[in-house]
Amino acid sequence: MRDWRVIETWGAPPGFNMGLDEALLLDADAPPTLRLYTWDPDTLSLGYFQRWVDVPGTARAGAVVRRLTGGGAIHHVNELTFSLVTSADDPLYRGPVPESYARVHACVARALGDFGARAALAGEGPLDSDRADTGMCFHASTPLDLAWGGRKGVGSAQRRTGGRVLHHGSIKLGTSPLEGDIATVAATGATATPEEVGRALRAALAEAHAIAFAGGEASPAERARADELGARYTDPAFLRRR
Amino acid sequence: MRPDDRKYLSSHEWIKIDGDTGIIGITDFAVQELCSGNESDLVYCDLPEEGRVVEAGETFGEIESVKAVADLNAPLGGEVIEVNSAIEDHLEILADDPWERGWLIKIKLAAKTSDALLDAAAYEDVVAQEA
Repeated sequence: MRDWRVIETWGAPPGFNMGLDEALLLDADAPPTLRLYTWDPDTLSLGYFQRWVDVPGTARAGAVVRRLTGGGAIHHVNELTFSLVTSADDPLYRGPVPESYARVHACVARALGDFGARAALAGEGPLDSDRADTGMCFHASTPLDLAWGGRKGVGSAQRRTGGRVLHHGSIKLGTSPLEGDIATVAATGATATPEEVGRALRAALAEAHAIAFAGGEASPAERARADELGARYTDPAFLRRR
Repeated sequence: MRPDDRKYLSSHEWIKIDGDTGIIGITDFAVQELCSGNESDLVYCDLPEEGRVVEAGETFGEIESVKAVADLNAPLGGEVIEVNSAIEDHLEILADDPWERGWLIKIKLAAKTSDALLDAAAYEDVVAQEA
C-alpha cells in the first residue's frame, strides 16, 4: 500500500482553494494528497489560458478565479471539487497524459456508480451537452470526458510543473444556471452530498491504486503558503490578463 | 535514437548550440506525452517576448494540450533574441517536426554548459524510465 493524505476543506474561499492546490504542486516534499473541497461563495473558475471576454458567465457567479489548470470555465456550485497532487512518476500519472486521465476517470466512474450515475468515457462524437460560445468546460467535450445520459458530468484538467502533477476534477451533483443541460447525479434521481461522493472517490482510488489514505489537514506552513499564493487568483490583473 | 547534435533536459526540452546562440525546443516525447499522437490536442503555446533574459532551468513559456498545461524550461540561460511565432498559430508543427521547424526560441547564451544537460544517450535513458 502507498500512503496518501486526504484533506477535506468544505466551503473554503476561492483564492485559498486555488492557493492550496498550487502550494501542494510546488512543494516537492509534500506527501501525495487528495483534496476534497467545495467553495464559498459559488465561484466561476476560468481555465488558465481562457480569455475573460470569452466567458459571459463571469458576471453571474459569486466570485471568479483563474485556475492554474487549463480547459474551460467551471461554475463551482452543487458539485464536489477534487484535486490529486503528487509526483509525475507516481503510478497514477506515469506515461502519456491521456492514460493518466483514464486511470483517474475509472475511479471517478466507480464512485459515481454508488449513486446511480453510469458514467463512461464520452468517446468520439459530440455530446448532447455541447454548446457553442459559453466558454464553459461542461459545454465542450473530448473523448476522454466522463458522461452519462449523453451529457458531460465531470470536468478535468491537469497542470504539470517541476516533475509534479496537479489534477483538478469537478463532479456535478446538481445544476448550475451557467451550465445548463449537463449530466448531474441529481438527474439520475439520486441525492448525494459532496462529502458522500468524496468518500466514494477516496474508496475507489484506494482500491484501484493500493493507496492507504490518512485523514489530515494542511500544515500551518501549507496554509500560510496557500494564503500567500491564493491572493493572485482573484486579482483583477490575473483574472483579466487574457 | 534522438538527434545527438544537441543537449537535453530531463523535463524534455532540447537545446542546440550554434556559436553564441542556443536554439531551444521540446522533444517528440514531450509532444507524445501531452497529446498521445493526436496533434490537434495541442491548443496553446505561450512564448516569451524577445529581450527577456531567462536563467538556466527557468520556465520561459507554457504549452497547453486539451487536457494539461505544462511548463517550458530553458536548458541554458541567456537573452531571448528570436521567437518562432509560427508555432503559436500552428501547433501541429511541434508534432510534425519537433527537431527543426518546431524550435521555440533562440537565446544569446550566457553560458554554454550546465550540469543539468544530458547528451542524447542519457536522455534516452530518461525516456526509457518514464515510458
